[in-house]
Amino acid sequence: MSEGTNKPAEELHEELERVWGNKPGWGAASAVNHTTVGLRFLITGLGFFLVGGLLAMLVRTQLALPEQDIIGPELYNQLFTMHGTVMMFLFAIPVLEGAAMYLIPKMIGTRDLVFPRLSALGYYCYLFGGLIILSSLVLQIAPDAGWFMYTPLSNAEFSPGKGPDFWLIGITFVEISAISAGVELVVSILRTRANGMALNKMPIFCWYILAMALMIIFGFPPLILGSILLELERAAGWVFFDVVGGGDPLLWQHLFWLFGHPEVYIIFLPAAGIVSTLIPVFAQRPLVGYRWIVLAIIVMGFISFGLWVHHMFTVGIPQLALAFFSIASMLVAIPTAIQIFAWLATLWTGKVVFRLPMLWILGFLIVFVAGGLTGVMLALVPFNWQVHDTHFVVAHMHYVLVGGMLFPLVAGFYYWLPHVSGRMPSDTLGRWGFWLFFGGFNMTFLLMHLTGLLGMPRRVYTYDAEMGWGWLNLLSSVGGFIMAIGVAVIILDITLHFRFGRKAKSNPWNADTLEWATPMPASAYNFASLPDIDTRHPMWEHPNLPETIEQGHHGLSEVMYERRDIFGSDAITGKVREVIHLPTNSWLPLQTALMIAVVCISLLVKVYPLALVASLGVLFFALRWGWHNGAHPVASPWRDDDPVDPPLHSRTFDGPGLWGMVVSLMANGTLYVSLLFGWFYLWTAAPQWSVPEEAPISLWPLLASGLALSAAVLIYRFAVTQLRNGSDAHLQKMLWIAASLGALHVGLLAWVLIAAPLKPSDLAHDAVLSVMLYYLLLHAGLATIFTVLQALRVRIGYVSLRLPYEPVVVQPFWIYTLGVFWMSFAAFVLLPMVWEVG
Amino acid sequence: MSVWSPLHPAQLVFGLVIWSGWFVLLYGGLSVACEFAPPPDKRGAVTWLNGVMLFCGAILAVLLIWLARRCWNAAPAHDDGDGSGRFIARIAAAAYLISALAAFALTLPSVILPPCV
Repeated sequence: MSEGTNKPAEELHEELERVWGNKPGWGAASAVNHTTVGLRFLITGLGFFLVGGLLAMLVRTQLALPEQDIIGPELYNQLFTMHGTVMMFLFAIPVLEGAAMYLIPKMIGTRDLVFPRLSALGYYCYLFGGLIILSSLVLQIAPDAGWFMYTPLSNAEFSPGKGPDFWLIGITFVEISAISAGVELVVSILRTRANGMALNKMPIFCWYILAMALMIIFGFPPLILGSILLELERAAGWVFFDVVGGGDPLLWQHLFWLFGHPEVYIIFLPAAGIVSTLIPVFAQRPLVGYRWIVLAIIVMGFISFGLWVHHMFTVGIPQLALAFFSIASMLVAIPTAIQIFAWLATLWTGKVVFRLPMLWILGFLIVFVAGGLTGVMLALVPFNWQVHDTHFVVAHMHYVLVGGMLFPLVAGFYYWLPHVSGRMPSDTLGRWGFWLFFGGFNMTFLLMHLTGLLGMPRRVYTYDAEMGWGWLNLLSSVGGFIMAIGVAVIILDITLHFRFGRKAKSNPWNADTLEWATPMPASAYNFASLPDIDTRHPMWEHPNLPETIEQGHHGLSEVMYERRDIFGSDAITGKVREVIHLPTNSWLPLQTALMIAVVCISLLVKVYPLALVASLGVLFFALRWGWHNGAHPVASPWRDDDPVDPPLHSRTFDGPGLWGMVVSLMANGTLYVSLLFGWFYLWTAAPQWSVPEEAPISLWPLLASGLALSAAVLIYRFAVTQLRNGSDAHLQKMLWIAASLGALHVGLLAWVLIAAPLKPSDLAHDAVLSVMLYYLLLHAGLATIFTVLQALRVRIGYVSLRLPYEPVVVQPFWIYTLGVFWMSFAAFVLLPMVWEVG
Repeated sequence: MSVWSPLHPAQLVFGLVIWSGWFVLLYGGLSVACEFAPPPDKRGAVTWLNGVMLFCGAILAVLLIWLARRCWNAAPAHDDGDGSGRFIARIAAAAYLISALAAFALTLPSVILPPCV
């Protein structure tokens, strides 16, 4: 795909900058470009990190000496809750997502992520959600039940304030951002790599991010569901976790840790990706055991989902079940060890250059291995019982998270800083920053292991002098402040380097990956032309790539109709299949996120009519978003000179939208499966589970509505099959029929819901059933609306035989809706009937 | 290419998907069995439930090893130019093998621990 251009490089640059650049002034808020959005994530995350760090300093000040009363217990509870929340949800994950968003397109040789507006929406959801959560601190009503928000402590009875509401609603808002980043990154990595970049030629960092993104897709929905259920319990009195109505507080723990444990690996994997990227560069040799590391990433991605109960070893689970999770917790050490040995082997066999980023990598290896070893200790049930809820666990967690995430992240910051600014950081200041941080960190947390072993529980605001924990706490606090000085030095270094840092030469670390072939600082379009890539080390094997790319010697070096074009490629071989036209700057992400913020705030202040109106606003902007796609004039209307080899993606049956839909449905399906898990869990384990004397749902109307839905899906599928077979003769008519049947299904389902004598405030059984019915209604309603819009687009001419893309994208949504309907029918209606008979 | 082909990237995760399913079945099935048909505590680990778990774990491990062998054997015969087929088949074989070991390892505690205590 290397058809070049003879255009002068400057002219090409100006053209591309005009098409790909952000709007000036306030217009920058409409930017969707991955470089801009990625950097926004990083800078915002850094801001939240400073807030989280400040809260930690307050906590350490309070604990420095015994029997202090600088901070009272109420505020102390808010501080540790917000510290954990901010660091985990507003710093660690978003910053790594931001780094991935910034780097991935550059590493795979393309110009942007595949759904740029989704990137921007994700950022605004993150920003607004984060501000909502932080505002609770300013208003002095912050959540105070701990960052994992265990119920019953967090329920309306024991936490009557608004703190948990801020947490539950704010976190759910922020998680929209995580899911959108997950979808975006998966599809981008699989479908937009440079021509020829087969899976086995992909930079190792991309494997890590692919695994992280998929883990987000499967890991976050349980917490989203849990948050919705707990908020429903708090705000509407529905019963899910209250034992009296047949609920179970342990369900919350399961849902939380189903997310919470994989989250540790969601944080670790991209950081390990940074390590696997940097070590070969500074060892000046290829990574040892690329295939072994890919294997380790995949294995870790799965096994990390099987560990969640090791956070619940003390809740009274049978020994054998505990042993399953104990074994799984030990098994996960194997893929971790594979990576560590591969890194050591790379260092051993290379010629290591000890530049500043390597210092942080070294710190990572020491701290993370120590954290991993205490992790294996905690996987042993008897030891876990002994140190549960002590400072030992706090120390372990910080060794794993700071060692496994922050050290590599800072290494990465220093490594890619020249890429962002075009300048080099100060080596002297950087080394000071490292040693202060490294020393302070170990002083704080190494000693904290001992404090925990001596029996100091976590989350107590003070302790008696005679307990003997005073000197350890004092040293930990001093260490904490040394660490904070280290952070200040690093920030000073990074700030000063923008002004005083010496200019970086091209590829300053002699790296092998493609991001160093882009201009420094990065341009809006990354690559003036898109090269073919047939090696894992393009910059080592083709060191002149930056020049040939800039001069337009490779693919897509012509700007057509002011479109933002990138290549779409085969997921396995990386061979180019189509040209993907991306949307340009747009206000829709900001408008949609603002509307969601209004929904959240309305729910917080309990102004429900406003929440309803704002929800309709969200729907309006989301549909408008979908309308500005495909052949719409603001996207890429049909033109006679449209490229045919490869074609534009909106003229094909298998564009990235279909992949995006399928990946989104994976996340959606995980949420649904979590609901099913909740249903069966309560049914089998809740101490006071009870069912109404008569089944509350009318069987026959529900069955009739299911038949209407099935007919709608069959007709829709038939329409798409006809389209695939080359006929759009009755497309519009069939879409209208499918939409009508969908509407009939929605009507019947709504009638079933209204007619059912459900008492969700009294019985967990009815509460879960109600959630399921609303879930089905929402999906059927959306499928119907999508189909109405498709029919209208056929009428206008945006969808046709030549433009078949969109109906294919909507099809999986219909099939999913049908699948969850019949699954729900079986699990929520038929199975209980069988059980009752039994 | 069919997803069942040993060279399809789906094979990279199938083994671990099976392992995950087994994990869920093991944990969920144990909970349900202990709720509705718990073996007597005094039998210790010598119960029908432990036997079923061990038997199923062994069968599953054999199946996964067979799948690993299938992928491994497919690898050398399919060098497709860019090497992606061989790459996928080899990693998939290793992933199946690890899944087999992990599946069996999960069931091992059934040898010594009573199921419902």
